Amino acid sequence: MNSLQKAKQEARRKWDLLKNSKIPIIYMGTATCGRAAGALEVLESVKKILREKRLKAKIVQVGCIGPCYLEPLMDITMPGRPRISYANVNSEKAKKIIESLLIKNDPQTKLAVGHFGDESDEFTNGIPRFFDLPMLKPQERVVLRNCGFIDPQQIDHYLANDGYLGIINAFHKGWQKVICEVQEAGLRGRGGAGFPTFKKWQICRSSPGKTKYLICNADEGDPGAFMNRSLLEGDPHSVLEGMLIAAYAIGASQGYIYIRAEYPLAIARLKRAISQMREYGLLGKNIQKSGFDFDIVIKEGAGAFVCGEETALISSIEGKRGMPKSRPPFPAVAGLHGKPTIINNVETLGTLPNILRNGATWYKQFGTQGNHGTKTFSLVGKIRRSGLIEVPLGMTLRQIIFDIGGGTRKPFKAVQTGGPSGGCLSEEFLDTPVNYESLTAAGSIMGSGGLIVMDEDTCVVDVAHYFLDFTQQESCGKCSPCRVGTRHLVEILERITKGQGRPEDLSKLQTLGETIKRGSLCGLGQTAPNPVLTTLRYFRPEYLLHIKEKYCPAAVCRELVEYRVVPGKCTGCQRCVSVCPTGAITGPRAEPHNLDPTKCIKCRACYEICRFDAIAGDAIVIRSRREVADEQTQ
Amino acid sequence: MSKRSKTVKITMDNKVLQVKRKLTILQAAECNGIYIPTLCAHEALTPFGGCRMCIVEVEGMRGFPTACTTPVEEGMVIRTHTAQVQNERREILQLILSEHTSSCLICGQKDECREYMGTIRKAGVITGCRYCPNDGQCELQDVVEYLGLKEIDYPIYYRQLRVEKEDPFYDRDYNLCILCGRCIRMCQEIRMADVLAFKQRGRQTVIGPAYNRTHWQAGCEFCGACVSVCPTGALSEKARKWEGKAEREEVTTCSLCGVGCQVRLLIKGEKVIGSLPAEDPLVNDGQLCVKGRFCVTELVNNHRRLRKPYRTQNGAELQISWEQAIELAAKKLSDCPAERFGLLVSPNCTNEDLYVAQKFARVVMGSVNIDTTARKFYGPGFNAYLNLMRMSVPLADLSKASLILCVGLDTRFGRSVVGVQLRKAIGRGAKVITINPRNNNLTMIAEKWLQPAPDEMVHLLRSLVKLTEKKGRRTMMSASRRKRGDLADELSQVAEMLGEACSPVILVGSEFLQRRESPQILEAIGKLARNTCAGVLPLPAQSNLYGSVLMGAYPELLPGGFSSTDKGRADDLSERWSADIPTFPSRRSAEALLWGRKLKVLYLIGVVPPNREPHSDFTIFQNIYPSGSPGQADLVLPAAAFTETDGTSINGEGRIQRVRKAVHPPGEALPDWEILCRIARKLGKKGFDFGNVRQIHKEISRFVAGFGNFAKPRRKASPLLIEGELRVVRRKSAGKKRADKKPPFMMNVSTVEHIYRGFPLTDWVEGARMLFAEETVDVSPEDAKKLGISTGDEVVVSWEHFQKSLLARIVSGQQRGMLYATLRNGEFIEPNPHPVIMRKKDV
Repeated sequence: MNSLQKAKQEARRKWDLLKNSKIPIIYMGTATCGRAAGALEVLESVKKILREKRLKAKIVQVGCIGPCYLEPLMDITMPGRPRISYANVNSEKAKKIIESLLIKNDPQTKLAVGHFGDESDEFTNGIPRFFDLPMLKPQERVVLRNCGFIDPQQIDHYLANDGYLGIINAFHKGWQKVICEVQEAGLRGRGGAGFPTFKKWQICRSSPGKTKYLICNADEGDPGAFMNRSLLEGDPHSVLEGMLIAAYAIGASQGYIYIRAEYPLAIARLKRAISQMREYGLLGKNIQKSGFDFDIVIKEGAGAFVCGEETALISSIEGKRGMPKSRPPFPAVAGLHGKPTIINNVETLGTLPNILRNGATWYKQFGTQGNHGTKTFSLVGKIRRSGLIEVPLGMTLRQIIFDIGGGTRKPFKAVQTGGPSGGCLSEEFLDTPVNYESLTAAGSIMGSGGLIVMDEDTCVVDVAHYFLDFTQQESCGKCSPCRVGTRHLVEILERITKGQGRPEDLSKLQTLGETIKRGSLCGLGQTAPNPVLTTLRYFRPEYLLHIKEKYCPAAVCRELVEYRVVPGKCTGCQRCVSVCPTGAITGPRAEPHNLDPTKCIKCRACYEICRFDAIAGDAIVIRSRREVADEQTQ
Repeated sequence: MSKRSKTVKITMDNKVLQVKRKLTILQAAECNGIYIPTLCAHEALTPFGGCRMCIVEVEGMRGFPTACTTPVEEGMVIRTHTAQVQNERREILQLILSEHTSSCLICGQKDECREYMGTIRKAGVITGCRYCPNDGQCELQDVVEYLGLKEIDYPIYYRQLRVEKEDPFYDRDYNLCILCGRCIRMCQEIRMADVLAFKQRGRQTVIGPAYNRTHWQAGCEFCGACVSVCPTGALSEKARKWEGKAEREEVTTCSLCGVGCQVRLLIKGEKVIGSLPAEDPLVNDGQLCVKGRFCVTELVNNHRRLRKPYRTQNGAELQISWEQAIELAAKKLSDCPAERFGLLVSPNCTNEDLYVAQKFARVVMGSVNIDTTARKFYGPGFNAYLNLMRMSVPLADLSKASLILCVGLDTRFGRSVVGVQLRKAIGRGAKVITINPRNNNLTMIAEKWLQPAPDEMVHLLRSLVKLTEKKGRRTMMSASRRKRGDLADELSQVAEMLGEACSPVILVGSEFLQRRESPQILEAIGKLARNTCAGVLPLPAQSNLYGSVLMGAYPELLPGGFSSTDKGRADDLSERWSADIPTFPSRRSAEALLWGRKLKVLYLIGVVPPNREPHSDFTIFQNIYPSGSPGQADLVLPAAAFTETDGTSINGEGRIQRVRKAVHPPGEALPDWEILCRIARKLGKKGFDFGNVRQIHKEISRFVAGFGNFAKPRRKASPLLIEGELRVVRRKSAGKKRADKKPPFMMNVSTVEHIYRGFPLTDWVEGARMLFAEETVDVSPEDAKKLGISTGDEVVVSWEHFQKSLLARIVSGQQRGMLYATLRNGEFIEPNPHPVIMRKKDV
């Protein structure tokens, strides 16, 4: 029996001890998302309560389990009882829950969102199963299987849950069969392009040269995307095991993780995990007596969006400016330091241990023909239930947005897939199955997995402008179509949102967008016009309204709207008066207020506070200039 | 496995072509005369793929691949200018132009504009096609013409960047920049200076040194390589800006230092408007330093060039004709006894000039008093320096060496071509060690920087000699280990590296040459080279030092480098010249003959006398510029600069290279040899009937091996193979004077070394004044802080009987208590280094 097996047994023993703990266990989701919602403050107060009440309980910090709208999440397992999850916990709530559960053994059914038992018993009566929640039920957790369940800082937790079984299997199979297995599983690159992973590996494997490199691309730069971060924070070992498998398959002896410096927690978790791997003999020379040498170095990126592009990423690791290079040669042939290099996305690597552990046939049960497996998405925007989800490929957008996400509060308008490089799809595409081909056919891309949902309060011209402004700023400046072309796109869009659009602008947007797409050097430029091109395709009338009628239906474009107080609705609560930065709103308490449009800078503060405060309701409205003019003529 | 053939078959524009396998589509097209427009591609640089002008259609490939980056493959079907490709190019070109202020490229009024704006102007104007200094030689213009672009559909962005004019020699207007990255690749890949880089992202992307440093701070060598490759007017030469296109070119040898770079002179009418590096693999390999690239034109084009002969009478300058001038010279010379005649000639002159000069002294005047200014420059170390030249190896040996030792070498401005070779060698894996008390551009790239105090340099080199003596490495090492101290440890490491190195080369600079111990240093270098089987390459500051020795422009040497005490040779020579040759008084030193003695007639060819002492009763001053102090010269004769004369010159490696006449000398100026011959003929002497340089060269070939083929000289490097020796006065070692207390500062003096025909380049080239140290003193940051001095302050340095005010420069990495002064006229203090006091000048 080798040392790893011993370690595994020990880990399993510890895990069982934890599961059959005699004292309550409190799980806190303390990934970045949880922290942003205040998980650390809650954790401190939990500790304080335990101290004050002299209660014995074990605290386990776990990663993100998915439903961001429920953060911070606190789960408690009483001895012999299923784990119960409590959402949107703050200090008072935590106190109440702990006092009632730990002292009175009352699960506070009203506060609980779900339990993790097999079925409800008398203890969990009235609490739904967590995985039966509408957000969780349609999901398949493959890559995220450990997130929220294990302590990411403990390699033992990972080992106890069949960790590093994949790489051991890989060693038994030999590298040829590993590649075959991945081919059989039909795994495609989860970074966005969907290139078959095995094919890339084969090219690299057959490229001449002894030195080869494996790079894990964790430079997740899309606004609104956080799949990779959550995975790295919640289950770093699964990605690292994936790196071992990939490196073994391609024959690389050095690995790099290129991760943005804006992910300090993920970096800390990775560093810890890597040192644990060294301790357990999972990195270094002759890993587990397989004759395979491998080591991993973490390289922090400075936050340039373009560094997610393979060749720019390589330049950045080499210490040069992150600027893409023309391909061929492809990195798989000549990459880092001119040596064959494979760059795999975090999620691709995180999937590998599952394939190697359970086999290709098992993996193929998820998804559809040609698009096997699952994909994680970060579901954000104007949606009821936002969060990190994992679904089998082939699920329709409607299922994702309405079943999992719970739909939008106001009528649905569009969804942007693939981040700033992707496209904006309209309602008619809701029944499109989410896979690489269908999204590309619709003019969008799968991308790394950002799904930004928009309702009718969103102006698509403004959205296109937002994304283009982002790519324009993040263009590396190397090739002229991308550097100059996106700049022209932004200026035209800006003109339109200001009501200065010209009729010929639409055709110019179209031709320019296509030129940029065809003429740019790297993926950033080639996909940068997608938001414009797709919105032009699916929301052309809205553009025309902006240009011809100077009308923004979503009442977003500042120059085209005016803010008004509806006298019948205003209760005179003065909340808007207190937030108005320019003193444009005046009026005595309990009387309808007056809004001076000449002073108003359209900062939206009054609008938001009026919505938020349920008493006043929608007393402040944003009306388009056209409507105001109509009213006046009447 | 079948052998892969070296060529592939491709189809380009319906033509089946057989091309080399490793070519890109662009290269294949160029080889076969198919034009593909490009802006960022350059044959010397790696493909970039940024401008997207060279997009083509390739069957089976997605989109439009760029021809400059895509390698050819067997069976590729390429279409280079289909309608769609051309359209796409036009679209992209519009985008490029919308960022480029010179929208008049596509202006409808272009032709009218040309007609009315064609005035001569010295500064840019903001309207019209002449906004851009590159009008007519702009690659962007060519592409616009080719694609027939007539209008831009987009608004023009003016980037509102400040035009950078503060640096010497070239201006940078990044508003005209199209970000093709050629300058950056030139700076990084070819020059390996890493000064330029892309900064910022997106629309803010600009080019410049990182972290907002100035070019000076970033270590720019001002070599102008970036300017040469700029396809637009963004980088433009100050002096050449508005000169327009060159009409013809001439390749010649730069005469501003001993490296002997081949330069391509650009000529318009009778004016040299620019100098670019020639693609010459032997010496400079397409590179130049700031002097060759920028100083040449300013030096030869200055309006104060001498154009007519004149004499000075009672302080007044009196213009005379050549006939009168020759007559006057002949009269004065015929009255002059041989021993009271002196002829000083510049080692910047061509071999032919030097040969005629020494023949003039020996035959016409019957005098041995012929010398060059190199004797003053090298001082007591002259002979030792020549001894190193006897062992010299070609510069190309740097490419074979695994270790290069640099002694007293600085390659930032002068010799920067050698600096490029050094960096190339480092890139190849060779190691560079530099021995220099001062911090310079080599200390950063060197594997090791030995920084001895200036007076410890001999000691350091001698220890190295000892450590490398062949006694078996082990004993040597153990002996050195026993010595304590970091330096000793470093030394033994260096000795070990030298011992293990494969064909090491020692490069000898000139920073220590004026120091007291220079002969000992040079001797130690020679011994070290012998011990380690290393090649030595001294890099002289004078362009034709080698030639001056070989032509016999010294009292001790005859043409061919034979000793003038060699009776047989002297007799042979007098027979061939059919004239009596004076013999060199063997007991006397050459220095005593000429220097510091009152002469009757002193003939200066390309020599500027130091200000102080009057040298002679009558001075003939033959040069390209007037002497700094009027009244020193009684007869002034205008001479030709190296761009205006034919001849040969021998560089530091011993290559005989052609100097070619590019333009006529200004006014009535004549080449040196011609003036000398005219005077000789006037004096009725035979043997000076040369009609052209070729005849002189032919006569030289009778005495000197390797000469003969004037049209195509044998450019083979060879060590200085001469029999004769120079006699130098060894200054007596002053002995260590025990000072009462430790002097506050030790001052090291060196003389300005960027000199052409006696004039420091700073005299006539404005930009040089900003770059080259002159009348400055380098102070360490600690000392500067203590005395409250900052760069540019005036300080007073004084010692026993001398006081001098100099400009301070603060140099990081310099030892405390050390001062390094660079003086114009080499007013050496003895001993050098010398203890001094320094204070800030009172305001």
